[in-house]
Amino acid sequence: MKNSNIPSYIIAIILAIIFIYPLYILILIAFEPVSLTFDRLYPYQLPFDFTLANFKASIKDLSLIAPVLRSVVVAFIVAILAIVLSTSAGYGLNKISSKFSNKIIVLMFFANMLPAIVIAIPISVYFIKLGLYDNVFGIALAQELVVLPISTFIMLGGFRALPVDLENQTNIDGANLLSSFRYVIIPLIRVPLIITFLLAWMTSWDEFTYAIIISPLAPTFPVSLYDYVSRGDPFISSSFALLVTIPVIVIVVFLQKYLKGEYLTGGMKA
Amino acid sequence: MFKNHTNYKYILFVLPALVYVAALSFFPAASVVFLSFKTPKGAYSLGNYYAIESGLLKSTFDTVIVSFGALLIQLFFAILIANILIKSLKGNKLFSTIFIIPYGISTVVSAFIFSLIFSAVGGFANSTLHSLGLLHLFGIASVNWYATQYTSMGIVMFADFWKNTPLIALILLGGLSSIDPAIMEAASVDGAGSFRRFIHIILPNLAPYIAIALLIRGVSEFNIFALPLVLIGYHPSLINTLVYEYFTSISSVDYSYAAATILLLIIVAFAVLVIKLGGASNYEKQ
Repeated sequence: MKNSNIPSYIIAIILAIIFIYPLYILILIAFEPVSLTFDRLYPYQLPFDFTLANFKASIKDLSLIAPVLRSVVVAFIVAILAIVLSTSAGYGLNKISSKFSNKIIVLMFFANMLPAIVIAIPISVYFIKLGLYDNVFGIALAQELVVLPISTFIMLGGFRALPVDLENQTNIDGANLLSSFRYVIIPLIRVPLIITFLLAWMTSWDEFTYAIIISPLAPTFPVSLYDYVSRGDPFISSSFALLVTIPVIVIVVFLQKYLKGEYLTGGMKA
Repeated sequence: MFKNHTNYKYILFVLPALVYVAALSFFPAASVVFLSFKTPKGAYSLGNYYAIESGLLKSTFDTVIVSFGALLIQLFFAILIANILIKSLKGNKLFSTIFIIPYGISTVVSAFIFSLIFSAVGGFANSTLHSLGLLHLFGIASVNWYATQYTSMGIVMFADFWKNTPLIALILLGGLSSIDPAIMEAASVDGAGSFRRFIHIILPNLAPYIAIALLIRGVSEFNIFALPLVLIGYHPSLINTLVYEYFTSISSVDYSYAAATILLLIIVAFAVLVIKLGGASNYEKQ
């Protein structure tokens, strides 16, 4: 039995190296002097030196701080909007017959499959008229489309797990819809709420297509990183990229035990 | 009667989300199709489509190659990873944490890292080849990873594999853990080796999960935009980058609608096909 595991270990270690290598490179170029990385034809792959100069340079360059702050604001708007819309929708879908509610979920996932760029182009035209172009709310409203179906699905799952009679009992005890929500239901669905919030936050943080078309002049972080890369000065952005990547990796590692196939597939059961 | 009455009331809770999706998703998509027939002179014809026919055909073809290539690579490695993670190896927790890291690195950041690794001149990949002595062996200074359009597409596929394999692996891991260990044990007792167990037990049980993973990743694979834009620009253009290329230059905005309509058509066809064959119809039966 012991021997049969050795090939698995070898494959796992090779794959682990492949998966960790790009992150390692990002860390390396963030902490190495430029003379050892960007300035060399064959950059060194081992950490021979250590410097914080790159970090200092990138933090001094204020043009990158604004996009990061904008990304944070957009991500919070998207996450909060996702909570509001999907809690309401999940609650309603749980009450109507499952045949009908499943159709609505499928419809929402179908909308999710429409290419972002196809939707972003006409939306950007409307948003110019509405004053939402180059605006954090504009980006957030568009990005909400990406997260709404999965959020609704997660919240529906949360409500389905509650006992059916729970709400009747709160009614008997004299609670109206709002107070039963506040004191009974919300504390019981806090795990799906947290997952919805974090997934929506992460999706918005990563989103590029809507952001670049709807807000090219007031860019979010991914868009401004793209600007830097396409202009060919990567070393300012590289340490910054690391700085903003670490929190998300922490979120993912935290979310790991919740990232079960079911949430990721949006409940399309096999 | 009473039940119907309550139903209507609860639909109100769902309405905001539904209206949202309809207004910001179905309506714009429909307007793209409508506008694609409008030529710069204001008449309605197929002019936009004829104008970009050859470029569109080529990038459609390239997109299909990249999508299917990346899908196959991802699927292969995801099956491998899921089969390793399902075993209770020592250190599996560490491995699964490492395998999920790419999921947390944003697409543009990962495209950026890969552009540093695969530079046209020098870069970290060449540096590795250099220190292994391979460059010296072939007598070249560095490998130009973007020498032909196929190597460029290969780079995109590799970056995409790196970023998205964890997602598929997680879905398949869910499928694997639903297989009863007793079946595996019984097969093992009956003398089936690990290869035959894989073909006759694991694969058939995993098939529906593979179908779902293919649907989810397949649709997003046709939509891949940030990765090719950062890594290879418009050489060659995939459909998404082609739409963006037309959109960003004023003289060809109308063409972008035509290209976008074709993209929409491909996606809808693919989605309907897979939904008919796979997951969603099962979901409705639940």
